[in-house]
Parts: sequence; structure tokens; C-alpha cells
Amino acid sequence: MVEKRALIFLTLAILVWAISISSLAGYFYLQNTMYTEQIGENQQSLNKTASNYDELTSKYNILLGEYSILYGSYSFPGGNFTLLMEPLGRLIDNQKGNYSSLIMDQKDLNETYYTLEEDYQLVYQKGNVTGEDFGRLLNEYYDLFNLLAIRELSLVLSETVTLNVNACIDYGNGTTNWRNETKMPAGSSLFQLTQKIAEINYTYYPSMKPGHVLVDSINDKKAYTAGYSEGWSWIWYYWDGDEQNWISGPVGCDAWMLKNDGTYKWRFEHWSWP
Amino acid sequence: MDNPSKTSELDLLNTRKLALFGILAALCLAIQLTPRPPNVEFTSFLAFTVGLIFGVLDGALFGCFIMFINGFLSPYGFAGLNMPFQMFGMAIAGILGGVYRRLMSEQVHSARFCTETAIVGAIIALIFDLITNVGVGFQFFLAGTDFALAMLTAIAYGVFFSIIHIFSNTAVFGILTLPSIKTLNDLVGGEKIG
Repeated sequence: MVEKRALIFLTLAILVWAISISSLAGYFYLQNTMYTEQIGENQQSLNKTASNYDELTSKYNILLGEYSILYGSYSFPGGNFTLLMEPLGRLIDNQKGNYSSLIMDQKDLNETYYTLEEDYQLVYQKGNVTGEDFGRLLNEYYDLFNLLAIRELSLVLSETVTLNVNACIDYGNGTTNWRNETKMPAGSSLFQLTQKIAEINYTYYPSMKPGHVLVDSINDKKAYTAGYSEGWSWIWYYWDGDEQNWISGPVGCDAWMLKNDGTYKWRFEHWSWP
Repeated sequence: MDNPSKTSELDLLNTRKLALFGILAALCLAIQLTPRPPNVEFTSFLAFTVGLIFGVLDGALFGCFIMFINGFLSPYGFAGLNMPFQMFGMAIAGILGGVYRRLMSEQVHSARFCTETAIVGAIIALIFDLITNVGVGFQFFLAGTDFALAMLTAIAYGVFFSIIHIFSNTAVFGILTLPSIKTLNDLVGGEKIG
């Protein structure tokens, strides 16, 4: 016969065991529920991305088809370029209609678009359009069209992918500010990152490419020139992990796409010429 | 008039008790502040022991006091809002020591005493963790999480630590209570156990 006291302690021991096991089961249930929910959300997000991707590729293909017809007419010998101006105008309008939110939201694209529109108006008003003028407009259109397509694709990706980047601002006087683990949407350019981490002023150069933006000041530190032969400017670099050194930016900051875990630096530095 | 010899015996007992109380408190804090695996602790064991030797009130006060000091000095940082929950949880360890003393039979077999205290150690760990996890849940709630979700999350995510705590307390109580009680009883002069 088991004694009452022993029975009480046995019950207490079983109680502790039961509560511990139940809590463990509860923990795993909670984890399972959470993961299932997350997988569901991720799946939904992927489906949305796939559907958006389909939509934008269809749009891209239609616009590319229209461009191709116009390019064919332009390439055909003995064509009347003045007559081709109207279809080009419609193409430019279509471009604006299809990528309106991108053109409105992204300053560099906005400026590139309005430069193209201005150039178009100038050539159109001139009357007698030469093949050279028309070819230049077509090139401008095509460059912008590709840029818009890439940016829109990046926007679609950014719904599911976020980049982690490190940025550094070196003021050239010993002061260096690091902004590590900065989150940026996929497809962002260095220009967008710089706008996010600092107060900047910049100048847009339509004829400069790739990238049209030159940064004039970062956090009130202004670039300047002393005559034509020397000055101080904001120069950007990216960190090359393989070479283990900083590489000077080969293009304008608005044309350089950020990569995940990338490290970028703006340095205020002296230059002289020759 | 009181018997003077009785009064001085009582004074001596109180002095010894106070000194022992101080030594145990210092020992407890030293162990608390020593780096160790998470949730392997000796405070509840000492609070229980104090309760067992000196009674419910002293055990509860000891538990509260140690957790109050530990709340400021803990290597895991200031306990903050969880401090009252920790104090309450440890007071229960002391109270259970006193209660166990009252329920203890006149002659207890050593093996049985060890088994019983091991089970009590596990219960103390469970209750302490439940109370402190509720404290953590309360902080989540104050940070804006839904009350039920806050409690559930705190308890669920604390479960691995609780299991470590239950196992370690079972071992500590089962192995250390008997020799400690014997030594402390010899020091203070109380009833014999084991």
C-alpha cells in the first residue's frame, strides 16, 4: 500500500513533468503555426511578384514592338523623318502613360524624361527633321525605356527582397560617418542610398552618361573648384571584397545599382588637372 | 522576571541566526554574480534552506532580499519591471521551505528526504519561471502586444530555460539540501534531520 505522503510527492512530480511537456508541446505548436503563417505569406508574396512580373514583361514587349516598328522605318533608306516624328511622339506619350508613377517618383528618371520631351519638341518645331536628329531622339528614348524597365523590375523585386548595405561618408578632414546595415529596396541606386542617409544637393547633366547626376554637396559640405585646374569634389567608391580595396565609381551614382551587403563610400577629395 | 540565562541563550541564537543569514545572503549573491549557465542557480535552494531552518517568514524575506539585490547587480543587467516578479517568485521558494519544515515527519529517511526535496526543487523552479515569464509577458503587453499573445509568447519562449531550471534545481535540491541542513542545524542548533 502506497503511503499518502509518497502519493502526494509522486503526484507533484508528475504535475511538474506534465506541465513541462505541455509547455514544450505548446512551444513547438506556436513555432509551427508561426512558420506556416510565414510560409503562406511568402508564397502569397511570390505569387504577387510573379503576377506583377508577367504584367510588366507584357508591357515591355508591347512597347519594344512599337519601338522596333519605328526603328525599322528609320533604318529604311530614303525615309521621311519629319513624318516619323508623330509616331515617335506617341511612343514617348505611351512611355509616360505606362511608367507614370516611376517617372513621377524618381527624380533622375523624371529629369531624363523631360529632357527627352524637350529635345523632341525642339526637333519637332524645327520642321525639317534630319536622320541624325531623329536617330539621337530614338537613342534617348531607348536608353530611358531600358532604364525604366530595369527600375520597374527592381521595384517588383523590392516587394520581396530588401538589400542590406553599408555606407560611409568621409568628409576629408578626419571625420567619417558610417551607416551600416542600411535597408534599401532591391534595385535602388547609390544616388537613392545617398539621398536616404544624407542631405544632398546635386546637378543633373542630361548629356552625361551612364548616370546623369553629379553630387554637389553632402550634409552642407560643398564641392568647389579653384579655377579650372583644381578643386574639391565628392567622389564615390565601392568596396571590392575580392581585391580588398576601394574602387573608384566608374559611372554616375544614379546609374550604379546597389548589391546586397555592398559597401559604398563618399569621399570629399582634392583633385587637380593636369 | 525572565531567567537571565534563558535570555542570553535567545540573544546568542538571534546573533547566530543573523550572522548566518548574512553569510548565506553574501554566498547567494556571490553565486548569483558568478558566470554560470543560464537558469542554473543556487538562490532558490538557499532561500528554501533558510525557510526550512528559520521558518516561512524568514525564508520569504531572504528570497525577496536576494532578488532585490540581484536585480541591480545581475550580470544579465538591471531586472527592471521583472524585479517584483523575481522577488515574489523567490519568496515562494522560501515559503515552501517553511511549509515543508512544518509538514516534515519526525523521523525522515535520508533517501526519501533527498527525493522529496528534489521534487520540491522542481516545483519551485516551475513556479518561479512561471511567475517571471508572466513578468516578461507583462513587459511585452506594456510594449503594445496583445495581452494573451504577450503571455503566451513569454511562457512559450521561456520553456527551454524552464526545463534547464527544473532539471538543475532537481539535482541541486536533491543533492545539497540534506548536507546543508545538517551543517546549518549544527551551526544554529535546531532539530535534527536525516
